Amino acid sequence: MIELVDVVKTFQAGLATPFTAVDGVSLRIPKGQVTVLKGPSGSGKTTLLTLIGCMARPTSGRIHLHGLPPGTLPQLAEGDALEITSLPERFLTQIRRRTFGFIFQQFNLVRGISVLENVLLPTYPTGEDHRVVEARAVERLEGLGLARHLHAPIDRLSGGEAQRVAIARALINDPTVIVADEPTAHLDSRLSEDFMQLMAQFKAAGKTLLITSHDPIVYDSPLADRVVEMRDGHVVAGA
Amino acid sequence: MIQHPGILALLLASGLVCLLLVAAGWQGFRILRSWNLRSGSESQLDLERRTYLVSTLVSFALVIQILSLFLFIFTADGLHTQFVGAMCAAGSLAANAYGYPTLTAKVATCLVAGLWLVLHRADTQGHDYPLIRPKYALLLLLVPMVLMETWLQGCYLTGLKADVMTSCCGSLFGQGRQGLASDLAGLPPHLMQPVFWITFASLGATGTFALRTKHGTALFAFLSLTFFLVAVASLVSFFCLYIYELPTHHCPFCLLQREHGFVGYPLYATLLGGTIAGLGAGLLAPFRGQKSLGAALPRMQAHLMWCALILATAFTLIVGIWMALSPLRL
Repeated sequence: MIELVDVVKTFQAGLATPFTAVDGVSLRIPKGQVTVLKGPSGSGKTTLLTLIGCMARPTSGRIHLHGLPPGTLPQLAEGDALEITSLPERFLTQIRRRTFGFIFQQFNLVRGISVLENVLLPTYPTGEDHRVVEARAVERLEGLGLARHLHAPIDRLSGGEAQRVAIARALINDPTVIVADEPTAHLDSRLSEDFMQLMAQFKAAGKTLLITSHDPIVYDSPLADRVVEMRDGHVVAGA
Repeated sequence: MIQHPGILALLLASGLVCLLLVAAGWQGFRILRSWNLRSGSESQLDLERRTYLVSTLVSFALVIQILSLFLFIFTADGLHTQFVGAMCAAGSLAANAYGYPTLTAKVATCLVAGLWLVLHRADTQGHDYPLIRPKYALLLLLVPMVLMETWLQGCYLTGLKADVMTSCCGSLFGQGRQGLASDLAGLPPHLMQPVFWITFASLGATGTFALRTKHGTALFAFLSLTFFLVAVASLVSFFCLYIYELPTHHCPFCLLQREHGFVGYPLYATLLGGTIAGLGAGLLAPFRGQKSLGAALPRMQAHLMWCALILATAFTLIVGIWMALSPLRL
């Protein structure tokens, strides 16, 4: 479970034009469920996602991770809770690497290298045996119907294929939480439905899914266990 | 003041280190006063963000501080030609009243700076800043020490005047005079030799015991400090005699000169490094119960003890080989 306690994120704090993107959000995101953050542009969904995913630190407030898998940090016993906003950077990096898998709105694939190499990128800092992770990457890509594109450059993929590569990359380190930021923003309805079917598979596999979207295909999906509505940095419904 | 690259570098480095440490000291004061990891307040999160940067800057500043000790003795040695009667750094340091107090202060800050770096390294092994309060408390002790040392060094270096008549090392470290240098030179070699070897053997035995049983690190730290003091006294009392092949020359600074293969630098580096490592292992002993440090702290203590033992052995080997090869027999 992920627990947020009175989280605030202010950009340009202390300057002439401060902007509070997330304002006093307290929230519990249950393990193994699909939580959708819904709201218009500028409501603070993506900022909140980056805070939960350890990509930014809040201005105030705390975020606790409960039920982390063993080995997440060497000093943690199984079941220990971990407060992530205070973590020194090198521990934060470990959490980000092992606990979260990210699917970005723009996919953020690296041009000039192949599909397989893109998927392998998050594995390099872990120091795992290359043959093991390569076999895993091939398995993930085959599972997503991308077997024939393993060595193809990213530029030749369609939007749906590029997104599935991004999903394979998010899954390569076997994260417990998958974070997706507006994943269907660049997809047509059929591809969006396909995406939700993939999410259903991950939910069935016990993953926690956290998705931001203002697409009704996502937030009206029966897959969504909980829809949290945000506006102007506040949670207005579903908390 | 003498215009010398070493003097300018020392003054500049000390000024920078002081500025950084004073700023870090203020941060340390804020941390000691209001650090509360359970709070998610803006000020607490601000402290957490700043401590990472401040600790990194202080680490670099203290490495410069430690290296500046060697630059100081190197500069003092290089300046001896400017003074009438000086034959090595011993004479340069006696060129005004601030020379030896500066050297003493620099050795003291070097040891404490080394211990701070050990504590900082241990603190970064835990995810919840387990040693942040002791670390910044030690920093608050270190800040006035560095300020005092900078002031002494400033007085010494800016007060140096060429052609001042000073004492040569033979006179300063000669027997029959008043003062610590003469007292050390007057220590009888037949007494100091067994004391040195017994202290070295005790350090080795305690280290081996502590590494095997994970107990006795405090005693090992105490013996590391004892070894440092005994080794310095032994250098002046009898090691120097073998190195210079002269039964009456006790100066510990001529070792830094080319004629003696600059052997003083590895000797002092191994001695200081080993002492810091040994004391560091003992310094960490009270924190072994910290949950977030888990196995990291005993592992780090073991590394420090190995380091202390290897450096003490290297020091002993250097002087031992020199003694064996020297034609002088006492």
